[in-house]
Amino acid sequence: MSFEAGDLGWLVPYLILAVVGMVLVLAEAFFKGRDHTSLAGLAVAGCVASGVASIVLVRQLAGSEQHMLLGSMLVADRTSYVLSALFAFTTAACALISPAHQKEHGWKIGEYYGVLLLSASGCVMLAHAANMVTVFLGIETMSIGVYVMTAMRRRSRRGNEAAMKYFLIGAFATGFLMYGMALIYGASGTLSLVEMPAAIARTHNPGLVIAGGFLLVVAFGFKVAAVPFHMWAPDAYEGAPTPVTGFMAAAVKSAAIAAMIRVFGTALGGDITPFGALGWASPLVVIAAITITIGNITAVRQDNVKRMLAYSSISHAGVLLVGVCAMGLGSSSAQASLVYYLIAYSVATMGVFAVVSYVGSRGRERLLVDDWGGLASQHPGAALAMTICLLSFGGMPPTGGFFAKFYLFKSAMDVYSGQLLWVVVIGVVNSAISIYYYLRIVTAMYFRDSTQPMAPTRSAGLLFVMAACPLLVLELGLMPGFWLKLIGG
Amino acid sequence: MPGAFLLPLLIGIPLLGAILVMCTPKAEYTLHRGIGLAVTTVTFLVSLAILKFFDSKGDGYQLVFDAEWIPGLGAHFKTGVDGISVFLVLLTTFLMPLTLLGTGKGIEKHVREFIAAMLVLEAGMIGAFVSLDVFLFYVFWEVMLIPMYLLIGIWGGQRRLYASIKFVIYTMAGSLCMLVAIFYVYVQHAHVTGVYTTDLQELLQVSLPYHAQVWCFAAFALAFAIKVPLFPLHTWLPDAHVEAPTAGSVILAGVMLKFGIYGFLRYAMPLFPHGAAVWAPAIAILAVIGIIYGALVAFAQDDVKKLVAYSSVSHLGFCALGIFTLTTYGISGSIYAMLSHGLTTGGLFLGIGYLYERRHTRRMAEYGGIWKQMPVFAGLYLVIVMGSAGLPALSGFVGEFMTLLGTFNARDTFPIGHADFLPYPRLLAALATTGVIFGAIYLLWMFHKVFFGKLDKAKNGKLPDLSTRELAVFIPLVVGIFLMGMFPRPMLTTMEPAVKKFVSDFDRRLTDLGRESDPEGLPRLYGTTGPVVPPPASPPIPVVPVMGDTP
Repeated sequence: MSFEAGDLGWLVPYLILAVVGMVLVLAEAFFKGRDHTSLAGLAVAGCVASGVASIVLVRQLAGSEQHMLLGSMLVADRTSYVLSALFAFTTAACALISPAHQKEHGWKIGEYYGVLLLSASGCVMLAHAANMVTVFLGIETMSIGVYVMTAMRRRSRRGNEAAMKYFLIGAFATGFLMYGMALIYGASGTLSLVEMPAAIARTHNPGLVIAGGFLLVVAFGFKVAAVPFHMWAPDAYEGAPTPVTGFMAAAVKSAAIAAMIRVFGTALGGDITPFGALGWASPLVVIAAITITIGNITAVRQDNVKRMLAYSSISHAGVLLVGVCAMGLGSSSAQASLVYYLIAYSVATMGVFAVVSYVGSRGRERLLVDDWGGLASQHPGAALAMTICLLSFGGMPPTGGFFAKFYLFKSAMDVYSGQLLWVVVIGVVNSAISIYYYLRIVTAMYFRDSTQPMAPTRSAGLLFVMAACPLLVLELGLMPGFWLKLIGG
Repeated sequence: MPGAFLLPLLIGIPLLGAILVMCTPKAEYTLHRGIGLAVTTVTFLVSLAILKFFDSKGDGYQLVFDAEWIPGLGAHFKTGVDGISVFLVLLTTFLMPLTLLGTGKGIEKHVREFIAAMLVLEAGMIGAFVSLDVFLFYVFWEVMLIPMYLLIGIWGGQRRLYASIKFVIYTMAGSLCMLVAIFYVYVQHAHVTGVYTTDLQELLQVSLPYHAQVWCFAAFALAFAIKVPLFPLHTWLPDAHVEAPTAGSVILAGVMLKFGIYGFLRYAMPLFPHGAAVWAPAIAILAVIGIIYGALVAFAQDDVKKLVAYSSVSHLGFCALGIFTLTTYGISGSIYAMLSHGLTTGGLFLGIGYLYERRHTRRMAEYGGIWKQMPVFAGLYLVIVMGSAGLPALSGFVGEFMTLLGTFNARDTFPIGHADFLPYPRLLAALATTGVIFGAIYLLWMFHKVFFGKLDKAKNGKLPDLSTRELAVFIPLVVGIFLMGMFPRPMLTTMEPAVKKFVSDFDRRLTDLGRESDPEGLPRLYGTTGPVVPPPASPPIPVVPVMGDTP
């Protein structure tokens, strides 16, 4: 392994998050018992700096230029920087929502911001990962932070249960991940994701590769909450504090997909075997189809907004897995479409969870759909923001969600000889189901009268996120050209 | 192209108006109504300028505006009109100010949001009529959905929650099927030509394999048949109409239903001619069932609004039947009937709105003898009812007559080699004609029950006649109905070149390609052995009998 100081220049976005995260953990010691808003401010500043650095660096890259960094452990390309910027945005949004939520719901813990940024740095590492080791490190850095954040409301029994479930299942999944990596290493003799296709082509043990691929599918299935590995998600989403739920749904899921882009799309993908990209694609397609369907059908039956959004995010994970399969099967536009989908999905997710934390206050979260009655007449801005983000989830034009779905399904249809046509049909038909439950919330907000007066949480940061996300969602839908150019689609 | 900016402008003005009205203070209801009326009037005046630039002898797209929208995907912001769509655009812009002027007391809460929703709806409708790019069309098609959902859900009647969600789910289910077919056409086109584009005219250059056409047509047809609505898929319509506020009903029946027929003409039939040939008998039969069924059910209603809603099912059946005759008469008649239906049904719903504002009921049994109280209203309403029933010299007659004539003669005038396109055309025409008779019966019966008879309900004793504002809404409609009934020629001649081109293009695409892409085998998905079907060469290939018949 070689270390070159010049490589660090390409890793500035990562370094900023990691350093600011550590500074925050230390700084917290000097803020005991005082207001944490300034800590949140520092966290946001770190995220903004990291995001700006990503944007500056992505403009340095020409086309599909790649830089292998730190002895090929990490890679710097368009995808990694665009996703880093996205993680910085998500984390900043989360940090902006958090202070007011902490105050209203009584979980003022200063370490939170430090843990948040360290977890985000794990996400960024996944976006850069070029080696099984960095994939593992990234996933663990990210996950451990999220386990801690889920448990931050120490007095909430639900929160504790959620954190425990999340932690146990996460640890279990790590085992699968480790074992899968080990088998593939055993067969190919390399951990580098870039060298892997060539190494696998030379292997004498294709069975080991296929078994390893299955284990990785299971491990990542847990991480992105794909059916049947999704059981932890609704509980964890419900029990975690709302900003953390937003972070889990947006950043953690996106980071896991980013890792899948590297592992399945690059390392195990391509035309190595005639169908199935080494056997993992066929089970993954089936998992994707089941995930989309079960996620949506279960969401229809939810009365709790957070659980509904949890199941909705499960179904989105299914759509993303379709994109991963398409990439593994050699669709040229799949990578760009996945990145675009992650952007549209994450932005809308942060908008939605910002509104969810806006609606509740003083220890009461108002999570039942019926509690949202009359929001439109009392707080029209919040209702409009929620509606735009939900319509984006449902894939209605002219929002970013529509274009994201269009682009991703188009890339799935591009797969040679159309093996993914059936799953595209399932995905599109499921949009109709999803529209039904998203509109349940819209219906409650606009068409029903309020049962009780609203006393929402107000803070400048929260309002900013609530305004910025819907605008960005609309921009993503109306002018996708700019983003496609940035992603390189 | 001169005047190319007009169509984007027509989409932009209502959108800007919607933003403008949302920026005004919340309680200024008069201001909101004023802005709404001004914006829609300006839109109408601008749309009149289309006629100045429109060459009525041209058969292609005119006033074409083309700008690249999403370079990576080949999506264009491409708009244009031809003889088929130009009057539908004018109908939209004409009905809109009248609708806003006509909704007075009906809308009393959230007026600002109401005006904004109506303006967004207008932009969406105009956009869907003028798009020449499937991606753009789909975007506008869906953009129409949400404002209408809000119109029904916020300002609707008792069962508005149920009606609004039913409307959305029905429409979404259909349009998502269409989306899958769009994907298929789009990717297939790219596999054959190597260029990704959603431009309609480009997509038409490649023809899909036979089986793919059948399925893709079915997917498009589902979306459009729900919108029309054709017989078994019509159940959302009475609910949506009855629960919607007057303005919503007028726009829904007056304009939005037309997208079903328009979609068949613009997208489904040209893109998948073989699919159209396969499904045409089924659709024609469903259309005839719809004509008769709608009329019979309308006859059984006590709620005036429901009666008019079912009359729409019946009337739109004529339009659906007309386009599948594949004759110039049938198609022109179908478009004419759509335009006439827009005016008459809009008028019928507005009139019901006026009665409802005065009496707060829509049950016919509650009325009777209204003529004596509101003679002006009754006289004007009679014209509209007659126009809807298809009395000669009024607008409804022309369209329905031409449609029936086209259907009756379908076999004789049929494009060569497709004699079986429509089975038993004379029988279908005869059955559909009963719909005209039924239509006259239920409409006159409704008029009789409401306006004639004894004035025996005390509440009907002191009903004020139409106000100036209400008159200002009704008179343009009545004048329009008269003009369309007595001078159909200018409009029909303007449509004719485009309709003729539609028929000849359809014929060429059906015969050129024959059934060469193996009807026996499974649908070949993508070009595994080079292009599936070569793009049609411009000189016609010798005629191949398509449906197995010798000419």
